[in-house]
Amino acid sequence: MSTKEQKKRIELLQGTLDLLILRTLLLGPAHGHAIATAIEFTSDSVLQVEQGSLYPALHRLIKRDWISVEDGTSENNRRAKFYRLTAKGRRQLTLETSKWNALAGAIARILRPAEQEGE
Amino acid sequence: MNRRDRMMDSLDQDIRNHIEIETQDNIARGMPAEEARRAALVKFGNVGRVTEDTRDVWSWVWLEQLLQDLRYGLRMLRKNPGFTAVAVLTLALGIGANTAIFSVVYAVLLKPLPYTHSEQLFTVFQQLSNDKTSATGISYPNLTDLREQSHVFSEVAGNTHHQLTLTGHGEASVINTSVVTGGFFTLFAEKPLIGRVFFPEDDKPGASAVTILSENLWRSTFGSDPAVVGKSINLDKRSFTIVGVMPTRFRFPQVAESEQLWIPLAQDPLFGPWVGRRGGHWLQTTGRLRDGVSTAQAQVELNTIAARLAKDFPKEDDGWIIQMMPLQQLMILNVKSALFVLLGAVGLVLLIACANIANLLLTRATSRAREMAVRTTLGARRTRIVRQLLSETAILGLLGGAAGVALAYWGVQSLTSWLPAAVPQVNPIRVDKFVLCFALLLSAVASFAFGLAPALYAANASLQSNLRDGGGRAGEGVTRLRARNFFAAAQIALAMILLVGAGLLMRSFAKLTSVNPGFDVRSMVKANVALPRTQYSSPQQWTAFADNLLGRIQAQPGVQESAFAVPTPMDGNINLGFDIVGSPSPTEAESRTADYVSATQNYFHLMGIPLMSGRLFNEGDVASSPKVALVSRALARRYFPNQDPIGKQLSFGFPPDGTAPREIVGIVGDVRDMGLDQDPGPIMYVPYAQAPFPGADVVVKSTLNVSSVTAAIREALGQIDKDLPLGDIAEMPNIVGESVAQPRFRTFLLGLFAAMALILAATGIFGVISYSVSRRTQEIGIRVALGASRAAILQMVLRETLLLALAGLAVGIPCALAASRLVAHMLFGVSAHDPITILAVAVTLAAVAALAGFIPARRAMRVNPMVALKYE
Repeated sequence: MSTKEQKKRIELLQGTLDLLILRTLLLGPAHGHAIATAIEFTSDSVLQVEQGSLYPALHRLIKRDWISVEDGTSENNRRAKFYRLTAKGRRQLTLETSKWNALAGAIARILRPAEQEGE
Repeated sequence: MNRRDRMMDSLDQDIRNHIEIETQDNIARGMPAEEARRAALVKFGNVGRVTEDTRDVWSWVWLEQLLQDLRYGLRMLRKNPGFTAVAVLTLALGIGANTAIFSVVYAVLLKPLPYTHSEQLFTVFQQLSNDKTSATGISYPNLTDLREQSHVFSEVAGNTHHQLTLTGHGEASVINTSVVTGGFFTLFAEKPLIGRVFFPEDDKPGASAVTILSENLWRSTFGSDPAVVGKSINLDKRSFTIVGVMPTRFRFPQVAESEQLWIPLAQDPLFGPWVGRRGGHWLQTTGRLRDGVSTAQAQVELNTIAARLAKDFPKEDDGWIIQMMPLQQLMILNVKSALFVLLGAVGLVLLIACANIANLLLTRATSRAREMAVRTTLGARRTRIVRQLLSETAILGLLGGAAGVALAYWGVQSLTSWLPAAVPQVNPIRVDKFVLCFALLLSAVASFAFGLAPALYAANASLQSNLRDGGGRAGEGVTRLRARNFFAAAQIALAMILLVGAGLLMRSFAKLTSVNPGFDVRSMVKANVALPRTQYSSPQQWTAFADNLLGRIQAQPGVQESAFAVPTPMDGNINLGFDIVGSPSPTEAESRTADYVSATQNYFHLMGIPLMSGRLFNEGDVASSPKVALVSRALARRYFPNQDPIGKQLSFGFPPDGTAPREIVGIVGDVRDMGLDQDPGPIMYVPYAQAPFPGADVVVKSTLNVSSVTAAIREALGQIDKDLPLGDIAEMPNIVGESVAQPRFRTFLLGLFAAMALILAATGIFGVISYSVSRRTQEIGIRVALGASRAAILQMVLRETLLLALAGLAVGIPCALAASRLVAHMLFGVSAHDPITILAVAVTLAAVAALAGFIPARRAMRVNPMVALKYE
């Protein structure tokens, strides 16, 4: 696989993954594994990513102050990091969601006639 | 602990936790514990890469990775001191040679002349409109008209130089004097160290005699006397008042030896009387263009002025045009192409060095394949590995560059002391800031050049096969093998180009030095005696002085023979036009010219110039007897075809009484008086007694050494006049040697670079074949076990070597043929496509390659099949 292709995929993934993380945390603070499972569940396993790739994304969001991190206790009684959506992150989610919807709508409009012709 | 370290710490914990929860979930789904954990790990993905990517979020990724790479690179290089030493040394040679030659090219060709707005300075010269090679100086009246009528130049000045005798300050000494018109210092916009410069008034007839000292002369002879301005000195026994001192850095670019003092033209005992003459082309003329004037505009005005001069003074100026050329361009006319050829040559050496290191790196990349495979498995991306390997080579490049600069410092020092006089050194040649930048840039480019291919190959290594192969010995791909062979063959091809160039120059130089100059100067010493005109004013006195001095020198012990001559071979020439009495005057285009030599009667015997027919000069040829001349064989052949010139009469306008016809009394052998590489031209000789000069070269043949001979001449001279200095003392063989200084210089350098190329290419071949043999140890073992003879093995390896060499030669020969055209104009008696040279070089290269391949081939021959088969 060429590095260019790889880069393209990562870029696509990054934007989508960021959005999915923010969306998940809207429901309340969660630890890494829970976020990964939730994304997998809510997206009907369409977004099959290696779970590890979640962590660079989480840290990127922390750095941008869209989410914060705090200590907590997981269901198996271990100390774990819990991630929480910040006010800034909430605003960002609204913004990104409307952008995403606009984009998805646009793509849908573009693709629809093609589908009809194809049929 | 900073934020990043805290975050990375929590990440580790998070990941462990994540995998633990996933494992528990898997167990809950009914998986066995072990499988549950593995499935969790697979689902998580590459932990190393996740950690790395997360770290990237928090760090100055680029800088940090670079530092990490550099640290790692340094460690790797320290671990392989042998490899590092070879690579750094190879690179140091390449970069050192390039830096040294570049510092010469930069100072001589690229750096502007060290004058204010030097780009405005142009040399202005007259030239026959029908002969582009006739560029020559300008007479004083023409220069004055040009200066007054031109609007494009802010200043125009002329200068010429010769020597004067300084007396009254210690021992009489010969001083390099620059004779200049009044605007000379204004032209260069130079300020004096103390006192003042000349003004146009100093150059008017009747002005008082003034002089400006150079800082060197001021320090050496006048003890840095701060009150020197206003004091008087004696030049050729005339008093001059010192008005200023010029700093050492100021010198006119075209003077081989720095000026020691300056005098205004009107005061010059030698050329001063010529200021009224419009004929003659003797002043080197320089002009400064006004701001905003283009060279095209200036040339238009020069054409107008030339046309006006031709109309007003047809006798002197008809047929002459005035041209201009940047001063710097004039200076480098003769050396430019040679310097660029040398620069190209060192560039090739560096390329070969790069190919060599690239091959070393390829070999190492193979042995490091396992390391790369492990790094890839642990999550390193391909770009990351390439970057890391390039950092390693960048360190190599910088180390090599640093060592190269050190080499260059040393090289430049020996170069400058070696440089032929034709290379102008107005700008000091040294490794300065600009040259250092060049070396740095070169190191960077070089490390990229030799590092990129191996890094790409290394990063491409197939993961699976490398891990499986363990040591990575048999795991080399075909592409990498091809790359290695390509580099080795390329080295041969590049070396071929250099060797052919060097071979041609060497053959040319051998021909040049074995050429017969037409004279024999073994054990001869030459010195110059100049007579002050104030004291020795008449031709009779000059002749009497010569007789007197020669007589006294002859009386000194150990002196075999001595003679007077103006000029002596390889020491400038006096080219004069002449008429043959009784034959019609030729047109301008086919005017008759010959080099003029005035010599005493035993000059021919002394110099070994043979008499072909007629007679030589004798005691009877004195001022009062009929005027006679000798001609060289070339003159006889050219101007008297199918005739006997003896008995014919010549006339020429020099010296002043020369219009009287001179009868040719004999023909002598040809002499290469202009240089060994120039065919002997027509020469005419006149007896010194009939055409004396106020000074001449005295040539002495003796069995004594130079200092004893010099002492003998000094002794004889002192007996006549203790105020007469002896100048330009030199051994005649050295003067002849000096005339080939430039070809010797470039031949030596190109030969040196070609030798470097040959050695590098040989080590390159050696490396490739050695590696190939060690890689095939097992195969060779099997062959031997199956009954292959030692000779067959040897043959197999040598065939591989020769195939490489032949591939290199196949590419190298056409390249060398194309490149040798660049040196064609430097060749003497050898064609640029000389088949002998090319054949000899090809055979040498093939032989050296075979030798380089023979050592590993012998090793291959001795492979013990049992050991080889157990090898892996």
